Amino acid sequence: MTHDIVFTVNGNPERASVPATMTLLDLLRDRLALTGTKEGCGIGECGACTVLLNGKPITACLMLAVEADGQAIETIEGEAVGGELSVLQQSFIDAGATQCGFCTPGMIMSAHGLLLRSPSPSHDEIVEAIAGNLCRCTGYEAIIAAIRLAADRLGGEPHDA
Amino acid sequence: MLGNFEYTRIRSIDEGCRALADAKEAGAVLAGGTDLLVEIRNGLKSPKLLVDCKALDDLHVLDTSPEKTTIGASVTLNRLIENRTFRGHYPALADALESIGTYQLRNRATVSGNICNGSPAADSAPVLLVLDATVHVHGVGGPRVIPIADFFAGVKRTALNPDEIVTSITLPVNAGRRTSFLKQQRIKGHDLAVVNAAGAYDPETREVRLAIGSCAPTPVLLDPIPMDVSDLAASINHAVSLVQRSVSPISDVRASAGYRNAVLPVLVTRILRELLDPGGEA
Repeated sequence: MTHDIVFTVNGNPERASVPATMTLLDLLRDRLALTGTKEGCGIGECGACTVLLNGKPITACLMLAVEADGQAIETIEGEAVGGELSVLQQSFIDAGATQCGFCTPGMIMSAHGLLLRSPSPSHDEIVEAIAGNLCRCTGYEAIIAAIRLAADRLGGEPHDA
Repeated sequence: MLGNFEYTRIRSIDEGCRALADAKEAGAVLAGGTDLLVEIRNGLKSPKLLVDCKALDDLHVLDTSPEKTTIGASVTLNRLIENRTFRGHYPALADALESIGTYQLRNRATVSGNICNGSPAADSAPVLLVLDATVHVHGVGGPRVIPIADFFAGVKRTALNPDEIVTSITLPVNAGRRTSFLKQQRIKGHDLAVVNAAGAYDPETREVRLAIGSCAPTPVLLDPIPMDVSDLAASINHAVSLVQRSVSPISDVRASAGYRNAVLPVLVTRILRELLDPGGEA
């Protein structure tokens, strides 16, 4: 049995007919071809599949596609607007916060959620916000610096891609 | 794709109970899904029907009224953690919830899901036990209440019947009592507890409630223990010995029984010192 769902991704209305067993991550990657969201562990531990659900970071591997019915999803593809990088994306580049890049989409979505709820986050808030995003390359310091840089550039205004 | 199941988003609690009853033992309630979907993916559970209750407005209620606090079954951990009134009333519970998983996970996970999962390591359980929480459930026969002390039935087993859905958890007013939660884990961050423990001290009765997780098939609640504040060391030693007699830790993937037995007195002592001698030399 399939379920007809209506939802938005990065502000765009979407419709899909999905089986109960499909995850939101599979819906994004395999149906909508939004492959910026990565699958790492598939069990909610690595954070590579972090997206925003109604403005809050969640792991898309631990949510069913059918549960997205009526909800607003934001992915890494929604960060850049009109070919222009978001403040967060530019800050990650400027701070050298990406190496292999696999964790970066999830990191940026976690940071995006943080800057929505706490526009001028403390160091500890930044660390806690990305504690669920594993990076095996950078050692995290540059990522923390990038998020700090983005918060400074936004001047305490909530991040709005 | 995960497993092989059907999904239904219920519009009334009765509809959900009937669906679970019809599914016999093969139904499962889907709240945040942060345990259930992992267990399905890992092949540990294979339900045929997932019953999603998140469309029911009543289950999203978070009410911190003067008489009691009501936590609807769909209230996420982060809604509680980020609610200042809630944290003010139940700081140890907020601490326990904040120790669970990651920020992303806490945006989906619920307290009701934490206890319904039936893990001996459930981080909310020790605090709910010392706070005398009440679990409100609904089945095909109607509603009933289960004291939290009667809720846990064994490893991954609860007092719920297959047709029953938890609708809310209520907490009595915590005025005057001091509470504390501590958790030993292998890494800071998303790890399950090697040992977790909570305490509540009532200065009026001079009694302490202690509850221990990850050291028995279920979280364990001890009977109230009278504390003699004039001889704190003796009282703490007595309480620790009572705790040690109440648990039966095993060796598993996270720690050996010996390590758990060694850590437990340390956590209990720290909790009791914090409750009875705040600002002391603990």
